[in-house]
Amino acid sequence: MDAMNGAELVKAMALLSAGLCMGIGALGAGLGEGFAAGKAVEAVSKRPDQATLITRTMLIGQAVTETTAIYAFVIALMLVFK
Amino acid sequence: MDLTIFKICAFLGAGISIGFGAIGSGLGEGMIAMQASKNLGRQPGASGKLLRTMVISQAVCETPAIFALVIAFLLLFKSPENATLVQSIALLGAGITMGLGAIGSGIGSGLPGVSASNSIGRNPATTNTTIILMIISQTIAQTSSIFALTIALTMYSKVFPNTIVSIGAIIGAAISMGAGATAAIGVGTVGKFAADAVGRHPQDSTVLTRTLLIGAAVTETVVIYALVIAILLVFVAV
Repeated sequence: MDAMNGAELVKAMALLSAGLCMGIGALGAGLGEGFAAGKAVEAVSKRPDQATLITRTMLIGQAVTETTAIYAFVIALMLVFK
Repeated sequence: MDLTIFKICAFLGAGISIGFGAIGSGLGEGMIAMQASKNLGRQPGASGKLLRTMVISQAVCETPAIFALVIAFLLLFKSPENATLVQSIALLGAGITMGLGAIGSGIGSGLPGVSASNSIGRNPATTNTTIILMIISQTIAQTSSIFALTIALTMYSKVFPNTIVSIGAIIGAAISMGAGATAAIGVGTVGKFAADAVGRHPQDSTVLTRTLLIGAAVTETVVIYALVIAILLVFVAV
């Protein structure tokens, strides 16, 4: 391996933490959105005439959950390109 | 010494790949078999349909473990013609990516199979509609393991520059894709409720399929974020 200096080590750690950040950030948001969508499907099965309202509520709830994953994505991008 | 590290990383990567990769498929297929046995007790007359559904859903659930096995074989038999430290870490990263990435898809494919079995046990007349929804949701859950396989194959074959920045990028991409693919459990949860719902109300299968697809697609976006970060780390940042 070529000679290692402080700047290179910092860059390596930045890339590693970008991966850590996005990986674990995606995990929680994915599970949460999945649970929301699952319960929405169950609700649509009980009241199919309300499908539009239920889907709209599900999308609003999922969008709010998505914001945490977007925070992680933004920080990961900044770490990759900083 | 470089050759020793190469072999250590290759063997460790192979072990992690199939060792962790088998967890998800094992759990998923076990859950499916458990529900099939329970529903056979409840409805022995539907045994043909129940066994057919069990085998179909277990086959889809098996694919992440097969991907992990392929990566393990590739790592075991990799010839050490470029045995630098960075290439060795790349092999280890490939193993970690596929091993962790397969867990989520395995469990996420098992959940719809569980509900499909319950629906058929409750009402065998709804078998065909239930199987369609089960296969749709299992397929969407599988995409995460396909993403992990792509990143693992890239790490296996790409020649990385010989700097410490590459090591950080490789481990970061492995964690990003490995942990991110676990969100497939969320996709599986949507499929679980969908297969259950269509068993109770088969006449609403169109609107249920539409809701399933919307919900599963939004859930899949976070896995795509993780894939984008992993691709950036492996291709752009090094």
